[in-house]
Amino acid sequence: MGRVAGKKLFSIMALCAMIGLLLLPIVVSLPSLAIGADAPDAVKKEGAATVEKGRDVYYKTEGIVVGAPAPKTVDGPRDYPRYNFESRVLLWFANQQHLYYGSFVLAVPIFCMVIEFMGVVTKDKAMSKRYDQLAHDFIKISLTAYSLTAILGGILIFTFLTLYPAFFGYLSSIFRPVMHIYALMFVAESGTLYIYYYGWDKMTDGFLKWIHLSMSVVLNVIGTLLMFLANSWIGFMMSPAGVDEQGRYLGNIWHVIHTALWNPLNVHRILGNMAFGGGVVAAYAAYKFLASKTDEDRAHYDWMGYIAMALGVAFLIPLPFAGYWLMREVYAYRQQMGITLMGGLLAWLFIIQATMIGILFLSTNYYLWQALGRMRGAEKYQRYIKYLVFVLCCGFLVFITPHTIVMTPAELKAMGGQQHPVLGNYGVMSAKNGGINVIITTTILSFVWYMRGNKVSTVSWSKFGNIFMGVFFGCAYVNIIWLAIYGYYIPANVRVGLSVPQVATTLSCLFFMFPLNAAMMKGAKQMGAIEWGKISVRSQYALIMLATAFTWMMGLMGYIRSSVRLFWHVNEIMRDNSPWAYTHTVGFAANMISFNVLFFWVSILFVFWLGSLGMKKAPVEVKAGVPGGAPQPAGGH
Amino acid sequence: MRMGKTIVYALVSLVICIAYFTAVDHFLMDSQGLDFWYLFRK
Repeated sequence: MGRVAGKKLFSIMALCAMIGLLLLPIVVSLPSLAIGADAPDAVKKEGAATVEKGRDVYYKTEGIVVGAPAPKTVDGPRDYPRYNFESRVLLWFANQQHLYYGSFVLAVPIFCMVIEFMGVVTKDKAMSKRYDQLAHDFIKISLTAYSLTAILGGILIFTFLTLYPAFFGYLSSIFRPVMHIYALMFVAESGTLYIYYYGWDKMTDGFLKWIHLSMSVVLNVIGTLLMFLANSWIGFMMSPAGVDEQGRYLGNIWHVIHTALWNPLNVHRILGNMAFGGGVVAAYAAYKFLASKTDEDRAHYDWMGYIAMALGVAFLIPLPFAGYWLMREVYAYRQQMGITLMGGLLAWLFIIQATMIGILFLSTNYYLWQALGRMRGAEKYQRYIKYLVFVLCCGFLVFITPHTIVMTPAELKAMGGQQHPVLGNYGVMSAKNGGINVIITTTILSFVWYMRGNKVSTVSWSKFGNIFMGVFFGCAYVNIIWLAIYGYYIPANVRVGLSVPQVATTLSCLFFMFPLNAAMMKGAKQMGAIEWGKISVRSQYALIMLATAFTWMMGLMGYIRSSVRLFWHVNEIMRDNSPWAYTHTVGFAANMISFNVLFFWVSILFVFWLGSLGMKKAPVEVKAGVPGGAPQPAGGH
Repeated sequence: MRMGKTIVYALVSLVICIAYFTAVDHFLMDSQGLDFWYLFRK
């Protein structure tokens, strides 16, 4: 009894320590913010008599100048020291690898939190144990990756200091009031992660389990804050605020952090990280599935892959909308920036992006259709899949059609202009919004089919429910396509607003049809068990495809977002005067992104292998197949 | 009789869905200060 009480006390103390770690950076930062200790010495020396005021470039408020102006760099060893290699490419590589790993280790603990919570609230004890095992497997994968993330972060800082000292010096001078918070957040993140992981087996039941779950919440709050702080740097580089037109800091750090693009970037990155993390874990499970020697292992990794994919796709579905919001804010901040992105220099990269998004959704749908094969009773949906394929392909083709094509003068003459007489019509946003919303709605429909694959509703209103659901999806498609066509006939300033009801239509399918389906399937008759592990090998390759497409798209979108600044380190504040202040060709960028993707996957395979070395396999109790039962976990903690 | 019930269900569903999506189109455009019925009013 005394031992249990001691454990409880110890676990509460550990949780309090974690919360303390979370609050520590904020407490430490308070005095410096209050007394303005962040003002550079150079400014202080000028004397109290001369107080210079500046006007915030974004907020348009007046503030006392407390920072030095942005340095006017010149191409030379002082501002741009270099090796015999393009510095920007080196930085690109270091940045991208750090981002991949950073995204992964921020996303996976959120998954763990969700899955552990599912395990705690599930009444079925066997199922609860499986969820707990799965959450533990997830965190184990991320633990090795965490060390690598920290190392890559160090490499990134050294790369900045070595190759871009003037720029990095300026950026860190602007963010000095919160730099130490960022560093302390890292300490807090590491501390909480290790307590969370190593305390797993000590806190398995009842009150202690809730304490453990609370730890995962603290861990994720720290991780998310860490990401928000990092996002403020890129937000500042794209849409600076809190400084005057010379780039002098005006003493309000909140203005510097809370730039025009900060919130859309935060939302987009959280969703993107989650989708990416889900993809990587699903690919890991797919790899383990393919390498499995026993049915138990196959069942476990099939289940793991499905859960990871489902979580990843849950965040993928709203991702295009978050991206759309980000683009709207970019246009609102600087219209020219938006035009450079979507209608100018970088427009072709958006065509590639559209292709990747299409591939992501096609892979997801393909996996779900394959997954129907592991359910008895799901055959009834197989004959309708061809219609979904048709709808998806139509949406995909419209979505990837470019507005204009790169042509020779002869081709241009033969076609009669820059736009194809028929296909050119599909190259506008009105059509593309229709295309992507059709794709997402179809993915939602595939999920609904999957969720009811082996079930027959027994509720008294099932007939009406089924008809209503069919009509709702039908009307949603009609509304999306109607809005896409309607957009051609109204002026651009009205047309741009149509995307909102289009998105709302798609989200209505998600938020109304999922609960309706769940209500209809409550107490449903099961046609047969879900036979985990009995899924085609092709489906696992679809998961690997999904993860690769996520990785490639992240690299692409990062490049697009970064290169929209063109020849600016900090947009309109600090000019990039290095020899590499130009935009690469699409081909070079694609090769570079592919190299980054390849390097990430090779390195993460190494991480997975390292993780597997420490894995001790617990003997698996093989049970006779129970209809509807989930698999036994393959490994033990 | 069963067919009649199906038709009634389908019609009721259709009315609800059309009303819902029309409301979505109208009010979400209105909330942005835009006129969804622009083309029809001209």
